Amino acid sequence: MKQTKEAVDGFRFLPPGLAAWIRTFIPEEEFQGFIPWTPLAKTLNQATIALISSAGISMKSDSPFDMERERREPLWGDRSYREIPRDATEEDIAVNHLHINTAYIKQDINVMLPLKRMAEFEEERIIGRLADTAFSYYGFQWQSTAFLKEAIEPMAKKMKEEGVDAALLTPA
Amino acid sequence: MEEAHFSTVVLTPTHEFHRGIGVPRTAAIEYPYGRPMGRVRDREGQREVLLRVLELLEKGQTPGELLYLPFKWPEAPKETDWHPPEMSPIVRAYIKEIKAARRGEAGKRS
Repeated sequence: MKQTKEAVDGFRFLPPGLAAWIRTFIPEEEFQGFIPWTPLAKTLNQATIALISSAGISMKSDSPFDMERERREPLWGDRSYREIPRDATEEDIAVNHLHINTAYIKQDINVMLPLKRMAEFEEERIIGRLADTAFSYYGFQWQSTAFLKEAIEPMAKKMKEEGVDAALLTPA
Repeated sequence: MEEAHFSTVVLTPTHEFHRGIGVPRTAAIEYPYGRPMGRVRDREGQREVLLRVLELLEKGQTPGELLYLPFKWPEAPKETDWHPPEMSPIVRAYIKEIKAARRGEAGKRS
């Protein structure tokens, strides 16, 4: 991959105190352990791609993510997930997240979950297909084993059923 | 996801988080939280970002690959208004530790 010379500063938008606190939890070196790897088996213009976001997006017709319990228990995060149909727009969704300003996603879902942009790419044959179902969960998880079982496993099962080859994940 | 035979790519505003866990393909972007694809109704800008991310998905060769995207947000951090309207519960609960961490970094610099 052609790499730009200028590094991205992931702390640029954080207040200095919060950035300093978060840095105390993050290693200074890149990860050195085993990383699971599945090469993309098809060219992009043949691949079916699903979108997944941790922004706490739900359909208005569905139940929202639980913010009240997190307000009571600051280290708890809702471990459930929601399905978002590929033709959903900002008119159809609720967004609940206590760590970002959700107003922008409610104005344009594509700033977080680029359904419309991917549908355009499908039409232009840049990608093979946008999967019928996108997914959203709540990106504040501290019990990863339970989260994998309760959210990621059923999402992966649905993706298999829909013939998905790859996923684009957008953390909030 | 990769163990379930899906190829994955993550577009993130804070790639540094991935140092602790290892992520197969990371596209790092210096955009405010909650808008990694770009500005509201900026179709062209969102498409440019998405094309680069998909290119990484298709052409990435190495587990842990990290691609810095060259896009710059047009506003200064203080003008981006990405913060939640109410203080996050974890920030409220750990405000003393957060202030101490800031004092600690300031002390190291001086």
